Amino acid sequence: MNMSVYGMLLVSSLAIGSIYGLIALGYALIYKSSGLLSFTQGDILTLGAYLGLTFYSILGIPFAISLLLTMACAFVLGILLEKGVIRQLLNKNVGAIYVVLATIAISYIIQNGSQLAWGTIQLNFPSVFPVQNVNIFGVNVRPEALMCFIVSIALMIILHFFMTKTRFGTSMRAASMDSMAAESLGIDVSLTTGVSWGLSAGLAAIAGMLIGPIYGVYSTLGSTIGRKGFSGAVIGGYGNMYGAMIGGLILGIVETFSASLISSTYRNLIAYALLLIFMFIKPTGIFNERAIQD
Amino acid sequence: MKSKTLDSKKLIALIVGAVVLLALPLVLPNYALLILSFWELYIIAVSGLDLVFGYCGQISLGHAAFYAIGAYGSGMLHEYCGIPVFFTMIIAAFISAAIGALIAYPSSKLVFHFLSLASQAFGEIVYLLISHSPGKITGNYQGFFSDYINLFGYELDSYTSFYYFGLVCVIVFLVIKTFMVKSKTGRAFTAIRENTHAADGMGINVRKYKVIAFSVSAFYTAYAGAMYLHLTKFINPDTFMLKQSVMFLTMLLFGGSGCLLGPVMGSFVVLLVNEVLRALQDYQMFVYGILLLVVVVAMPGGLYGEIMRLVNFIKGKATQKAEVK
Repeated sequence: MNMSVYGMLLVSSLAIGSIYGLIALGYALIYKSSGLLSFTQGDILTLGAYLGLTFYSILGIPFAISLLLTMACAFVLGILLEKGVIRQLLNKNVGAIYVVLATIAISYIIQNGSQLAWGTIQLNFPSVFPVQNVNIFGVNVRPEALMCFIVSIALMIILHFFMTKTRFGTSMRAASMDSMAAESLGIDVSLTTGVSWGLSAGLAAIAGMLIGPIYGVYSTLGSTIGRKGFSGAVIGGYGNMYGAMIGGLILGIVETFSASLISSTYRNLIAYALLLIFMFIKPTGIFNERAIQD
Repeated sequence: MKSKTLDSKKLIALIVGAVVLLALPLVLPNYALLILSFWELYIIAVSGLDLVFGYCGQISLGHAAFYAIGAYGSGMLHEYCGIPVFFTMIIAAFISAAIGALIAYPSSKLVFHFLSLASQAFGEIVYLLISHSPGKITGNYQGFFSDYINLFGYELDSYTSFYYFGLVCVIVFLVIKTFMVKSKTGRAFTAIRENTHAADGMGINVRKYKVIAFSVSAFYTAYAGAMYLHLTKFINPDTFMLKQSVMFLTMLLFGGSGCLLGPVMGSFVVLLVNEVLRALQDYQMFVYGILLLVVVVAMPGGLYGEIMRLVNFIKGKATQKAEVK
């Protein structure tokens, strides 16, 4: 194999890796704000892809605006989920397993609901750019794959500044550190928690719209990506925002390269094997986030 | 306190129940017997999950994997080693128990949420291995065929005979579960569920008991998986996806966890719901999701918990009346 093949592999691994990263970022936000796992992220990704497809291809809205619209829809959905279901359950003081099961139930509803709404046939997401390939350092790259990576990194940076430099971001971080202390300082913890869920849903929906042009859109698109996103989150250190992105990228690279250089039969297995290996050997992940063990 | 011997009312109820259970195949059509046979194997699988979740407080989203190990293990031992079917079921269940222990040992340090992730990843790995097995030894997506159960030369080739066989299995497994729960091991499980650190402080070897809970649970579920294979004679990987693990958990939570009757009732109701929803086809999983959500939000105690509350409520009323008189 020559260099250009490696280059193409690298670009496609960064593209899928940044999608895992966005999903894992959502897991981190949710875990930090409510200490919970959510199994809905993957299916919100599917929903995002369908919504984006509807806005962009059927209604003919420009891509960037479709992206924002999709994100806004998902943001509202995320807040509604938190306020309508999760908060209700937590107020009842039920065990964490019920919350986990509730998110699984919601993921079934979203997945099969979007199947009912958009049908079972895989839909084609029309290409976003007029050119098929762009040439970078002698490597032919699909502009959509490049966009995946660039938009994800941009989102990551925006989120970083939002969390560290704005007043609301700081109060979100305070609420996730110690909700009672934050409450007593006048921070609206209920609002910050809701926004965290909304943001993570928004990130997942954007991920869906970015991956749609590359993978096509179908109702189980997100469920596998969502499950593998957990692996990215664990590799980076569960609950750590930067770890999530790095973990996602590492997962994307390891997966893509081993699938094409060794064997593609067990492509999906690598993510789960990595998850177990990290959990058993280095549960704090790369960024040393102490979440997983007692 | 209650006396050890059964009082006459309970004895009569027990005898009537036994007669009804034994007489059912005489009156029911074949389809109903198939459903009842499924019920039996689900009771065993869900009771196994109950040991780990209801008693020991450990979540598993990967029990479909043990179900698969039981089914494929038994089928492959029969196919490639020529061992008679009933023995393969038991051997496969022991293999599954060993694998369960192997997974539980490193997992026992994980906190609740992450145990669900680890077990889910384990379930996915097993699913991928059986659907992409090297040399197609599991038949991959084409599925895997096997034979009926052979009990010392007597083949259980009808639903009626399977029903009776399953009935014996259910009783044996539930009796073992009862004894286990009431033993020192069961008390250690409960202590771990209530407070892991306190249990540790009392001198309970937390890791050891978590491993025991997991491997016994894996044994139960794998045995149920083997029953499933030899009831339907055909399996394919689709049965062993995450959906199945979620269904086991739903059955358990719907019935009520941490009791003997919860899994029995929960598996029956969810099985019926699944059968009814089958007619809806495209809407099946959608409606199932809504039902699951409603159950989780509205009925966290499970069916058994609700019934007990009702019974206590009525009893409370009765005693109140008696006191007034």
